[in-house]
Amino acid sequence: MSPEKTEGQQKVNESVEQKKEHTEKIDFKMVTFALAGKEYGIDIMNVKEIARASKFTYVPNAAPFVRGVYNLRGDIISIIDLRTMFHLPAERKGEDILESLIILKVDDNVFGVIVDSIDKVIGVSSANIQPPHPIFGDINVKYIKGIIENNGKLYIILNIEKLFTKEEEIKSEKNIAPVALSEQALEKEQSNYVINESNTTDLVANFIKETLYTYKHFAVTPVNETWFNARYEEWKSIKKNQDLQLKEASEADEFLSTFFSPYTSALWADEYAQAVINALPDLNQKIINVWNPGCGKGYETYSFACVLKKRYPDARIKIWANDSDLLAISMAPNMIFMVDDVPEIYKEFMIKGKNGWTFVQSIRDSIFFEFHDVLNSNPLPPLDMIIARDTVSFLSPVEQKRLLVDFGERTKRQAFLMLGLHERMPLDGWKEMTTHQVVLYAKSE
Amino acid sequence: MRVEYINPFVESAFNVMKEVLQTNVRRGELYLKSTSMPVMGVAAIVGLAGDVEGRVLFDMEKNTALAIASVMNGEELTAMDDLVKATITELANMITAQAVTKLHELGFRFDLTPPAIFTGDNMEISNHEVEALIVPMETPYGKVEINVAIRERG
Repeated sequence: MSPEKTEGQQKVNESVEQKKEHTEKIDFKMVTFALAGKEYGIDIMNVKEIARASKFTYVPNAAPFVRGVYNLRGDIISIIDLRTMFHLPAERKGEDILESLIILKVDDNVFGVIVDSIDKVIGVSSANIQPPHPIFGDINVKYIKGIIENNGKLYIILNIEKLFTKEEEIKSEKNIAPVALSEQALEKEQSNYVINESNTTDLVANFIKETLYTYKHFAVTPVNETWFNARYEEWKSIKKNQDLQLKEASEADEFLSTFFSPYTSALWADEYAQAVINALPDLNQKIINVWNPGCGKGYETYSFACVLKKRYPDARIKIWANDSDLLAISMAPNMIFMVDDVPEIYKEFMIKGKNGWTFVQSIRDSIFFEFHDVLNSNPLPPLDMIIARDTVSFLSPVEQKRLLVDFGERTKRQAFLMLGLHERMPLDGWKEMTTHQVVLYAKSE
Repeated sequence: MRVEYINPFVESAFNVMKEVLQTNVRRGELYLKSTSMPVMGVAAIVGLAGDVEGRVLFDMEKNTALAIASVMNGEELTAMDDLVKATITELANMITAQAVTKLHELGFRFDLTPPAIFTGDNMEISNHEVEALIVPMETPYGKVEINVAIRERG
């Protein structure tokens, strides 16, 4: 075997491996950092920001791992030294030397942790996270979510939620110790307890929110909060307050089952199409530019195209329909129907082909189906209308905000936005004109 | 990027590479990429104009480029000389031209610009406001990434 050939084979192996890495879904991002020479990670959803700071204000009588409090742009947060907390050697730097801080957010508490150095953000597939081995020395196994390998390095992923409750435990342990407790401390402990009590239901709700995001990438935000709260109450009565948590993807599906707008992944039925027609306001434009992010298989786009044709027969309609699911959208441009499946309203826009019924050329020409990720930029002309049913909710909270702001920036002065049945526009600048089945907003200055 | 554009590029990349290399070529999973991207070492670029504007970028490592050029020329090439560059440019041209022909049959009018080739280490290509479709092709000589960014003329 010639050396060149072996090299070639090696290349193949390498590229096959690379490919494997590509196809793995990156669904867990973590901020990595070092403590006493070892690598650790924290779920990025818990990380508010990273910072460098020094000169923490010392708090008397605090646990040894509490370095003090710090004024973070007006908010007073407590600073915890993770190294002391885990009994790792910590180099005590001078007053003026900046420490690396990760600002964490757990529920509504914001606090900072000191680490040796912050590395970077790594995206991994949560399926590859291995459970911690019981003989991990430095840190109690309880506080480890798992171990993951990335680029030849092993990262220990900390369970921040658990860690934070540990802090409370330690505090109360300290209180039990024969140290004279000030009345204030006692009071504080009691009030803490009361808060915890009243939060128990919220904890379950928060847990459900997190699982929805993990399994379905559904993020509860002001866009869909109203629905979530109602559904949560409903869920409690369905489950009779037992076993509320979603333990697997099928349960998350069940929880979400009432979320979707009517006729998702199907042509809109006559009655719903008529409701949309009635909800749409008069427009004088000659050309109507529409954006349909998250069009999926394209049913929604075709339905909306026909609805617009009926509502504005004289206007030229152009719809840019995007989806980041290549398999779903690749079938969209050449969709074929059996005529029995098709609601009456679409029949005038269809013709019979060899294999079944398709939409006429004028409808098909009005739609551009694009393989596109809404989070990447894509040039579009100024828009008259946006239809995004059940798209926004399936982005991360930050991405949701970005897309909603984008909606405002990409539209003309007079423009309309249609969201999913259980979604609401939380940002200013949009006036709601929802009818019972159609969630519609008009842009207002 | 319009769904209709995807298949012509994927198919012609597959067909042309399989034919000129006389070997098995495997297509990897397609995906989208935004903003700047590192270049592996050799990048051939073909511009597109017409109904649309955009470009197709063929990205590979230097060793892959040398191996492919060796096979296509039927002789052992070891240095990044003019012949190697011309060969890689020609490969880029063949693939893009075949894709454009297919698109033409579907009713889309595209024109090509003459290809250009870039070589060097630690290069990065930034396209502002353009999202690219990546078609990874795996050959026995290494990976060739075909990076297609096309947008409608606004």
